[in-house]
Amino acid sequence: MEFISPELDYAALAPMIVVGVAAIISVLVEAFAPRSVRRFLQLVLVFTTLIGALVLVVLNSGMRVLTGGQSIALDGPAWIMQGTILILAILGGLLMAEGGVDPSGDAFAPRASALPGSEDERQFTIRGYLQTEVWPFLLFAVLGMMLFVASNDLLMMFIALEVMSLPLYLLAGMARRRRLLSQEAALKYFLLGAFSSAFFLFGAALIYGYSGSIAFGPISFAITTKAGENTLLLIGIAMLLVGLFFKIGAVPFHQWTPDVYQGAPTPVTGMMAATVKVAAFGALMRLLYVAFGGVRWDWEILLWIVAILSMLVGSIIAISQSDIKRMLAYSSIAQAGFILVGVVAASPQGLASVLFYLIAYGFTTIGAFAVISLVRNASGEATSIRDWAGLGKKSPLIAAIFSVFMLSLAGIPLTGGFIGKWGVFAAGVAAGDAWLVIVAVIASVIAAFFYVRVIVLMYFADPTPDTAAVVIPSGFTTVSLAAGATLTIALGIVPQPILDIIANAGVFIR
Amino acid sequence: MTEAVSDFNLGETIVFWVCGGLAVLGALGMIISRKAVHSALFIALTMINLAILYVANAAPFLGMVQVIVYTGAVMMLFLFVLMVVGVDSSDSLVETIKGQRFAGLLLGIGLGLLLTVGIGSALTTSGDIGLTAANDAAGGNVQGLAQLMFDDYVVAFQATAALLITAAVGAMVLAHRERWTPRKSQPELSEERFRDGGHPGNRPSPGVYARHNAVDTPALLPDGSTSLDSVPGPLRARDDVRDVDPADVDEIRELTKGVDS
Amino acid sequence: MSQFGLFGTDPWWLVIVKVLGIFVMLVLLTLFTIWWERRVVSRMQNRIGPNRVGPQGLLQSLMDGVKLALKEEILPKAAHRAVYWIAPVISATAAFLAFAVIPFGPTVSIFGVETPLQLTDFPVSVLYVLAIASIGVYGLVLAGWSSGSTYPLLGGLRSTAQVISYEIAMGLSFVAVFLYAGSMSTSQIVLAQEPIWFAVILLPSFLIYVTAMVGETNRAPFDLPEAEGELVGGFHTEYSSLKFALFFLAEYINMVTVSALATTLFLGGYLAPWPISLWESANTGWWPMVWWLLKVQIFIFVFIWLRGTLPRLRYDQFMKFGWKVLIPVALIWTIIVAAVRILRDQVALTNTELLIAGVVLILILLAGAWVLQGRAERREQQRDADRAARAERQLDLVPGAHPVPPMPSQTFEYTPRRSALLTTQATMKEAEDA
Repeated sequence: MEFISPELDYAALAPMIVVGVAAIISVLVEAFAPRSVRRFLQLVLVFTTLIGALVLVVLNSGMRVLTGGQSIALDGPAWIMQGTILILAILGGLLMAEGGVDPSGDAFAPRASALPGSEDERQFTIRGYLQTEVWPFLLFAVLGMMLFVASNDLLMMFIALEVMSLPLYLLAGMARRRRLLSQEAALKYFLLGAFSSAFFLFGAALIYGYSGSIAFGPISFAITTKAGENTLLLIGIAMLLVGLFFKIGAVPFHQWTPDVYQGAPTPVTGMMAATVKVAAFGALMRLLYVAFGGVRWDWEILLWIVAILSMLVGSIIAISQSDIKRMLAYSSIAQAGFILVGVVAASPQGLASVLFYLIAYGFTTIGAFAVISLVRNASGEATSIRDWAGLGKKSPLIAAIFSVFMLSLAGIPLTGGFIGKWGVFAAGVAAGDAWLVIVAVIASVIAAFFYVRVIVLMYFADPTPDTAAVVIPSGFTTVSLAAGATLTIALGIVPQPILDIIANAGVFIR
Repeated sequence: MTEAVSDFNLGETIVFWVCGGLAVLGALGMIISRKAVHSALFIALTMINLAILYVANAAPFLGMVQVIVYTGAVMMLFLFVLMVVGVDSSDSLVETIKGQRFAGLLLGIGLGLLLTVGIGSALTTSGDIGLTAANDAAGGNVQGLAQLMFDDYVVAFQATAALLITAAVGAMVLAHRERWTPRKSQPELSEERFRDGGHPGNRPSPGVYARHNAVDTPALLPDGSTSLDSVPGPLRARDDVRDVDPADVDEIRELTKGVDS
Repeated sequence: MSQFGLFGTDPWWLVIVKVLGIFVMLVLLTLFTIWWERRVVSRMQNRIGPNRVGPQGLLQSLMDGVKLALKEEILPKAAHRAVYWIAPVISATAAFLAFAVIPFGPTVSIFGVETPLQLTDFPVSVLYVLAIASIGVYGLVLAGWSSGSTYPLLGGLRSTAQVISYEIAMGLSFVAVFLYAGSMSTSQIVLAQEPIWFAVILLPSFLIYVTAMVGETNRAPFDLPEAEGELVGGFHTEYSSLKFALFFLAEYINMVTVSALATTLFLGGYLAPWPISLWESANTGWWPMVWWLLKVQIFIFVFIWLRGTLPRLRYDQFMKFGWKVLIPVALIWTIIVAAVRILRDQVALTNTELLIAGVVLILILLAGAWVLQGRAERREQQRDADRAARAERQLDLVPGAHPVPPMPSQTFEYTPRRSALLTTQATMKEAEDA
């Protein structure tokens, strides 16, 4: 039998090819460039690549193609999410590039292999070694995310999921300060992640058993044609969802979130919190809408339960947190619940509202973690909320910016978070889930409590001797922080351009 | 072996029940056995039996690759690590979270029941295409796989490269201990050993003049004095060196009189 | 599947005949190989070797085998019984199993039934041999572990690391063969070598395979798992009697297996070599089995020759060679082969153009090697200079030689420590004087 070479739409794949090739070049730089120039080369390479890929995404944004067999769908929502991921990765990359905040180097361990507290580690710190392997990891993670939102096939989706996750597991364990906490976080993330991947794979196998295919198109066709016997289908969907719920951090698959958010280096936490949410929700929606649109009534209930649990558990537990990173972790769980309200609407309006929410949430989150990386005391970042008391009097500007992020996360008008929540809730109501929206509003009110509490603490408490100081960052963090703050406000005041772009993108293609 | 039959076939049925049973036994043994090495062996058994089932189900390539990659390489490395690290004793069986084992068992059984019933009920209703037909469509098992991998899933196939590179670099980052001083070469090491007053060769062993061969008994030198060098360092540090009976020394002196010097 | 014509159609009695035939042949080959090895090595070492039992001592290994089986069985106290017992069985079984897919000859007629001289064949039979080999390693590793003793454990670990490492290079050397044969079935690969052997057109693959197969079978100079100077007997130190005999058997069968695989993949299997192939019926009937046996014997002779000639490698050098030389070379060679295939089949380059490209490539490689060589030489010179500088700073009894402690009559004129001591003494004396 003659083998026919595959026909790939190289133009449509170009952004991902650029990122993938750059990631490999980045590994080669690690292998061959002398240590003194590695950081410089990597920074040039990474940011050129990400910006280049972003330009390609913008140029490609008119395309609506299925390529790589049927396994990759590059449609309007895919381009929007790829673009968002790239912008967020650039901002997150800027945070990772920051080298002026920690007196002994960047946010990463000088050598992740050195035992915490060992002589080796001390020597590497003194010698100013930097673990520049974080840059290839960043690029690989971005590649995985871009592929994840575009995968139109369970196998493709699984591989993309792993390509995205594996570098993140590694990055989570490389914090410079509090190494053991960081390593524990990485191990937890890895083990639980592997566990959830196994569920995803099992689910994919069952879906294959049901439909005889793992591509979304044939699955959806099988659902419409094979009425009746759908036990395999339902168990399969449930298992696939377990895998994806883990990635978005929805209750009851959220246990890793607080530990990982707290243990990972703050720039990585910011980058990961923002981009993984986009990627995972993108994949979740494509899976549910394109492949399983025909059995919407069956998976809706599951999403309702998870959404309600996420919103309530996230909001309520966040109140009792004393660590700002853990608080934001629980906040992200609650936010996942809010976004699920839009997902469960299963309408073009819902899709658009979720996309907007993800954009607004991404910028806000990166900005918030940028602020956290700046508020420091002698032992590193001052993540204890108590140390933030009176920050508004010591560093009014940073406190004001952080307040904007908190307000946006709480969904207060004139911020991006408000428009996002509004859109999601409106879509929910339009889809007839008014009662779910009511729960969501209640959860929002609970959540607002702890967001506002931080603001109150910063402004209405007097500085104590323990109050942390704000370090003046270099250009990298400044740009990232400024972009985050500006976009958060801009999305709240003039959201229309973004809403138009999303409206023009249309829906997932089949 | 190549001729897969989709309808009833005695040989295949026997293979299924034997290998399926062994695979399940292996899986059970893996979680039940207390020794890590035994667990690893049981899982290897499961893998081999699964491979045979794959071959019996007209997927010879998958079966062979399963053995080469999983049994031959992955499990072997597991065993390797287990043996090097010497994880021989069973882990502490104290539950850190109360009742988690019971809850885990309950949930596990629940999931197992759900899957068994679900898949079982689905199997009775869904039809099948036939393995021979599936393989022949592409002109053979290997050809069919190649067609899928290098045509429809070529992007996925290449994306796994990203995965493997990440894994390799990650392993290096986490495990490769970089040196911050240049490595000493063999001549340098041996010169150092000689120059800094170190003992150039083996330490004296209890030797012919010793009266006992226990490690804490120092060797006797020809003049009747003891050589502390012959006692291992940790024992010396703990002052656990056995005294020498003067009578023994005298006896030796008597014996060696006139022999030497 | 049509391409496997007569395979799987044998009547049951013929299958049993073939299985027994292979079994008997392997056992006989083992006995013969042991005798052959002892005679050849003796010859190389100016000895005579076994010549008492039977003509030319041919029955020596049979007698040794009987003696071994009658010896007392020793079960170490610290051994893990079940695993200790099963390890040699795994080893020997795997060794026999691998031979199921080796073709000895073309289709012949046995008691009136047309059948190929091969037990079975299927689309991935070469992978089957690899798979069986990797199961065979379990025998060694478990033997090492279950003995409950240190040297066997070290031997077992070494063999694991060794076989896994060299299996990669081995697998990579197959890729080119698969590409050219268009199949992974042994009988098809043999037939694909009808005009010219793969050893000729895929010489690098052949060399890589031959190197890897010595590593894979734990034979000298790669016999580190049983390095008697360091590990007593390696993984089988604690084994005795019949169990030890099984390991012994497995080792020799493995030698035959990898030789047979090399013959199949690279030396045209049972096909007659060139001058003989001019004779028309060289490749018909039972004749091919003779050619096959001769080719396998050549490989076995090479094994023995290596053992008689080369000293054992140091373990780290051996691993470095596998990972840093053999595997990269195999990878690059595989890429070249694939590229050449694409260039010829799809870009339609002529052989001349390919030749020119090849010459250019070789020149580039040579230039690269030259540059690297220069760098290595410079580094060498630097090291020598460093050593010379160090030697100047200290007394060398024999300049440039390895430093040794002084004889009682000799004194150091100058060493860093001594000079420091002298300086200290001088200052102390000055202080006292003052």
